[in-house]
Amino acid sequence: MRRVSVDIGGTFTDCFLAYDGQYIEAKALTTHHNLASGFMEALANACAEVNLPVRDVLSSVDAVRYATTLGTNTLIERKGPRIGLVTTAGFESSVPLMRARGYGDGLSHAEQTDLPGADRPKPLIPIPMIVGIEERIDYNGKVCLEVDEDNVRAQVRKLVDQGCQGFVVALVNAVVNPAHEKEVEGIILSEYPTHVLGALPIVLSHRVAGRKAEYSRTMSAVLDAYLHDQMYHGMSSLEVALRQNGYGRPMLLVHNTSGMAQLNSTHSLQTIHSGPVAGLEATDYLSGQFKEPNIIATDMGGTSFDIGLVTADGVKFYDFNPVIDRWLVSTPMTYLHTLGAGGGSIARFDRLWGAVEVGPESAGSDPGPACYARGGKFPTTTDANLVLGYLDPDNYAGGTIKINRRRAERAIEEFVAKPAGLSLIDAAKAIKRKVDANMANAIFKEVAVKGYNPKNFVILSYGGGGPIHACGYAGEIGVSKILIPPFSSVFSALGAGNMNQLHIHEKSLYLMLYDATFRTVLEDFTVFNQTVEELEARGREDLIRQGVDESRIQTRLELDMRYGNQLAQVSVVSLIDRLQSPHDVISLLDRFSINYAQRFGEGSQAPEAGVRINVIRVVSFVEHDKLTLERSTASNDLKPVARTERPCHFAQIDQPLTTPVYDHTAVTEGMQVRGPALIETPRTTYLVEPGWTLTMGKMGSALMVRDA
Amino acid sequence: MGGDQEKSVIEKFLEDNVLFLGPDPEIMEDHSVSPTSARELEALQRFEDADLINLVRHKLQTACNESFDMVEQMGAAPGAKWGDLISGLWTMQGDLAMASMGGVLIFSVLTQHPCKFILKYWKDDPTVGLRPGDIFMHNDARYGNIHNTDQSLMIPVFHEGQLICFTGAIVHEGENGACEPGGMPSAAESPFDEGLKMSPFRVGENYQFRRDIMTFLQNSVREPKLQLEGMKSKLFAAMRMEARVRDAIEEYGVDAVIATLRKTLIDTEQETRRRLATWPDGKVRTNLFADGTLRENCLIKIRCELHKKDDELIIDFRGSSPEFLNRANNTVLASLKGMLAQEFLSFVWPDLPRNQAVFAPMTVLTDRRSALHCSPDAPNAQSMMTFFPGFTAIQIGVPKFLYSAGHRATDVIAGWYNMIVTFLYGGVNQYGELVGNVCADLNGMGGAARWNRDGEHSIAPIFAPMADIGEQELIEEEVPLMKIVPHRLMQDANGFGKYRGGHGYQQIATMKDSSMWGYMCCSIGSKFPTTMGIFGGYAPGCYPLCKVRGVNVFEVMKDKRDLLRFRIEDIMNDRPFPGAKYSTHHMGLQLEFANPGELYMITQGSGGGYGDVLEREPEAVARDFQDQLISMNTVRNIYHVVLDEHTAAIDHAATQAARQAERAARKQRGKPYKAFVAGWETAKPPADIPYYGSWKERDLLYRGSPDDTCPADAIVSVMMRNPKDVRIEALEREIEALRGAQ
Repeated sequence: MRRVSVDIGGTFTDCFLAYDGQYIEAKALTTHHNLASGFMEALANACAEVNLPVRDVLSSVDAVRYATTLGTNTLIERKGPRIGLVTTAGFESSVPLMRARGYGDGLSHAEQTDLPGADRPKPLIPIPMIVGIEERIDYNGKVCLEVDEDNVRAQVRKLVDQGCQGFVVALVNAVVNPAHEKEVEGIILSEYPTHVLGALPIVLSHRVAGRKAEYSRTMSAVLDAYLHDQMYHGMSSLEVALRQNGYGRPMLLVHNTSGMAQLNSTHSLQTIHSGPVAGLEATDYLSGQFKEPNIIATDMGGTSFDIGLVTADGVKFYDFNPVIDRWLVSTPMTYLHTLGAGGGSIARFDRLWGAVEVGPESAGSDPGPACYARGGKFPTTTDANLVLGYLDPDNYAGGTIKINRRRAERAIEEFVAKPAGLSLIDAAKAIKRKVDANMANAIFKEVAVKGYNPKNFVILSYGGGGPIHACGYAGEIGVSKILIPPFSSVFSALGAGNMNQLHIHEKSLYLMLYDATFRTVLEDFTVFNQTVEELEARGREDLIRQGVDESRIQTRLELDMRYGNQLAQVSVVSLIDRLQSPHDVISLLDRFSINYAQRFGEGSQAPEAGVRINVIRVVSFVEHDKLTLERSTASNDLKPVARTERPCHFAQIDQPLTTPVYDHTAVTEGMQVRGPALIETPRTTYLVEPGWTLTMGKMGSALMVRDA
Repeated sequence: MGGDQEKSVIEKFLEDNVLFLGPDPEIMEDHSVSPTSARELEALQRFEDADLINLVRHKLQTACNESFDMVEQMGAAPGAKWGDLISGLWTMQGDLAMASMGGVLIFSVLTQHPCKFILKYWKDDPTVGLRPGDIFMHNDARYGNIHNTDQSLMIPVFHEGQLICFTGAIVHEGENGACEPGGMPSAAESPFDEGLKMSPFRVGENYQFRRDIMTFLQNSVREPKLQLEGMKSKLFAAMRMEARVRDAIEEYGVDAVIATLRKTLIDTEQETRRRLATWPDGKVRTNLFADGTLRENCLIKIRCELHKKDDELIIDFRGSSPEFLNRANNTVLASLKGMLAQEFLSFVWPDLPRNQAVFAPMTVLTDRRSALHCSPDAPNAQSMMTFFPGFTAIQIGVPKFLYSAGHRATDVIAGWYNMIVTFLYGGVNQYGELVGNVCADLNGMGGAARWNRDGEHSIAPIFAPMADIGEQELIEEEVPLMKIVPHRLMQDANGFGKYRGGHGYQQIATMKDSSMWGYMCCSIGSKFPTTMGIFGGYAPGCYPLCKVRGVNVFEVMKDKRDLLRFRIEDIMNDRPFPGAKYSTHHMGLQLEFANPGELYMITQGSGGGYGDVLEREPEAVARDFQDQLISMNTVRNIYHVVLDEHTAAIDHAATQAARQAERAARKQRGKPYKAFVAGWETAKPPADIPYYGSWKERDLLYRGSPDDTCPADAIVSVMMRNPKDVRIEALEREIEALRGAQ
């Protein structure tokens, strides 16, 4: 296998190169002005490891895969074009009002509950750029009011007169009948044809999102249009750079749906958060390779802590309405929960409870923790870790960042120790324990609310800050195994290299499997079967367009089902792709019942209230070759030699413990290290707490197990 | 037998021969936190490390949030879906110590009552008892909660035979079998019109509902599916929380859980007192008026005096209107307190934890049998019509303390819009099911102007942050309620000021594909604003319910589309549909069946303004004009700004001149205070407006006419006439007059 995969993050561009059995990890700083520079530098660093010129590598790899967070910056910085929104007359205020709750989407709980201080974000589309056209389609797709061409032309011209650079057309109930959106598109195209210079792009909402809910679907289309130019130009420049360096195939973009596709088959919306999702996809694969069926993936960075889940039953967790920046959208994104907890989380003494609290406020990376000496004066998690002895002031982040212990001490003394009446060390311990507990509680809730017992899981820890806290938060939850994955510092890039080409198509519908009012079970299967067929065809077209051999295409049918009029839509993977008999319906009902009970508890099911399908989703994919990630079974009595030792403090131990510090290269496969111990790598530090033992595996992986 | 002994015998006789256990004033009128019990004290002594307690608290808080998510996901009521619920943990004495971070805050302060009732009456009653696995429910607002549409469920948590706490959830379920569908009947003329009346009672054992009771409850409401799903969701959420409590006991010990719950209440009350102590001592008075009962127009006085001293706040509503014995707008005192607590939890100190101790330092004074402290004989399904203005009365008073307070946790604001301007509905949906409930868009109340910036448009209800107005496509998929205009920001519907309030929206609804469909509406403020501006800011405008009957707008859409209008004001002014009947009303609409395509239209008010309109930046006025939020008339005659009508370019010199002229005109119009009072004051309320409440003296209340009064400490409840009878009489008089003229 010869494959390049890259994950461009906010600070680093990570590269993972698989080349004839060699696996290489490399990094470079992200170059925001021109992503291609950082991309090529990371790639060059990787190629240097195999002693080959970049051109030779690029001309021989089967694919270049790419995950990015580029779009988020465009949103935050409001760098998108001036978009005009054409919507159904009467619905012009839907986007400005953001379903009321939108003021708090993407904010912390404290900000959400502060109503007097609540401010909606600066709009992507100002009110004058929204027009209503006189048309209406009902819930069932029936046309109540036809489109009036003159009315459309007049409204569209109004937008163009105000400097519109692109259109979003989002009409009510377009997902059940897209005729009017298409008609409006035709009218706009006749007014502003594509062969004319300065043609205006048009995004139709039903093509971006297949679900009912006009606000979130409209916002999906708005974000898609808003990001389109920046994403397209950014990606194209990358593709050009690759071509100039010998790569002749289409680049594959990682999607946040856990799949990937070529540039010409990608909506910009699908690329948001694709990096973290690639990490979760790698976790899924690792789960199989390492035979660990239940894994909680945790990725702790400087400002955030991502939590994802892989389970033995293979359930796919989606966030159907993710919030991107401050905007609620409709797209089936692989579910990840992000907590505002990281090395930069600020600690304080909370007068209310007379206790130490950490976060959600963060010093971020600028000014960063007090010990960075960049102007940050508040104590952070990193400062506590430094004071407790876990970090080496002279060798932090591979020596790239100088940290100052005295500043950390002073910040903790002033803002935590003194007001709490604690010693410096006890205050730092309280900070460490609280931040571990915060993460543990967040993990616990994420897992438990889905119906699983967190204690039956292994924690996978990656990201710069994770390995120092993993024993802490695992201990708080009661988990006794922690896995550090191979190539943990470029784990998301590795995930990108391991994905399938995949497309998801879904459609809202109102299909009663069991009608409780009339006590009937579905007998007419036409709608179900036709919908599945239609969605399969769309997925097939997407993949064939990218040159995929039709015979390799596989599909997975997922149904979002609910009892009565609940909000909960439990996704059920259907083993039947066509309904042919009432027996099939009953088996679907049974499968839903099992999934529902798993999540909410046996006996909580309510089939008496009726059962219906709200969304049919078809996942169409082509399997690609996978990397080989072997789990080590080696174990030996060899003892690594500590580079040094220093006193470290631990939460429930009064006196400091002399803690050996190992260089990661000194701990080879099969070696065991009992806690307390520190293992330093250029990018992170593994803290093996007392009562835990680390066994080093292959490719930099490791397993930490708590004493029985 | 001696006197004392005799008395004791009589007391015992009376105790043994209670007709039934009605609402207990001792429980219902006491919002303080129960004193620390001996067991709690013992736990606090054994488990005292604040940092450890904080860890346990966080764990239990996570459990509350987890179960909240479960109820929200599993519930079928529109209320559950948009977060009109909380889940929580009550101490072994029944005080709510912790609640989910999401949901309706008002529940934080008024859910303790049913738990305390169970402890006082059922725990030791041999016919009931309190055992592990028991499931209790309740919905009658006279025993706690806000109104009968809210259903609560709680289960006791025992450890080694000892009661440790209760877990449970409260949800606005909607339909409850009342005289009108949807659970909030404004037509109710007695508590017996208000549907299900569950006093706290056991509905299941061993964590299972009794099927006979479930059947009874389902049989009592229009939506038996909803009843089933609502009960199941609350039970499984409570059970999940119980499991988490057990985990915490296993990890930290039972004392840790008992101590944490109690310490949470103690710390919260202390913090609230600390914050109150930073306010200046003094008194602030406000008067507000509810302009109707939802059945008729009248003026219902809400008199409020805030008295802050040291670390306590006395909220004095004495002198407010008497109760209405056959109207649903009366408030149970506990509901009022819940709503008042909302001001502090959401709008003054949103960083405080959600539990009932927040309100413990407040004292509320009311007259018994007043509209804000009604008797059990008075219906209360629409208590919001008096306790929302009650809330606003303190909301516009509090900024006067905050102005120079030593501690502020958020922005100082004017009055938030406070009415639930939406439709309740009932009938048969397009799938043939009987349904009745309320639309979620009541959640889009306009935000108040702030001390340094404008309010946000239709952003959140006064009772919950992060509430959702929903998506029209999803609504019309389930019910035949088609909104031609779901939410349109209406021009000039605004509380003007240096900083303006957030706009409200208007909506135009119609029905499609139903054999039977009716609307209800339950808002006041069509004649007199329900919220106010402060420091010179304007109150919002007042808007009626508008109807167009005798038209089928779907027919118009088919072949007369040029007649269509998408603004209420255009429809009502142009009257484009030939033969249709156009009418306006106050926004209290009892269930009214409609035909397909007929139009029902309502408009929200806005948040109040802050500061003088003449101080508003002309650029902000121009921006609002460009966004079509205000008309040129408002630009010129309210803000006195001179703008180009086409480009919105500001003529600064002309604006300055216009504002100077207006300031001069104000001086001309002004009067010395004494002269104003002399010309304004009257001895009695006006005779041509039905007026309820005190006028000059707090202790004398008027009952609808200048000649009908009662003392505030011996209120005579008001009985209103049936508006249909009033109307029939008026028509009969007209007929008589016409006959006489012939």
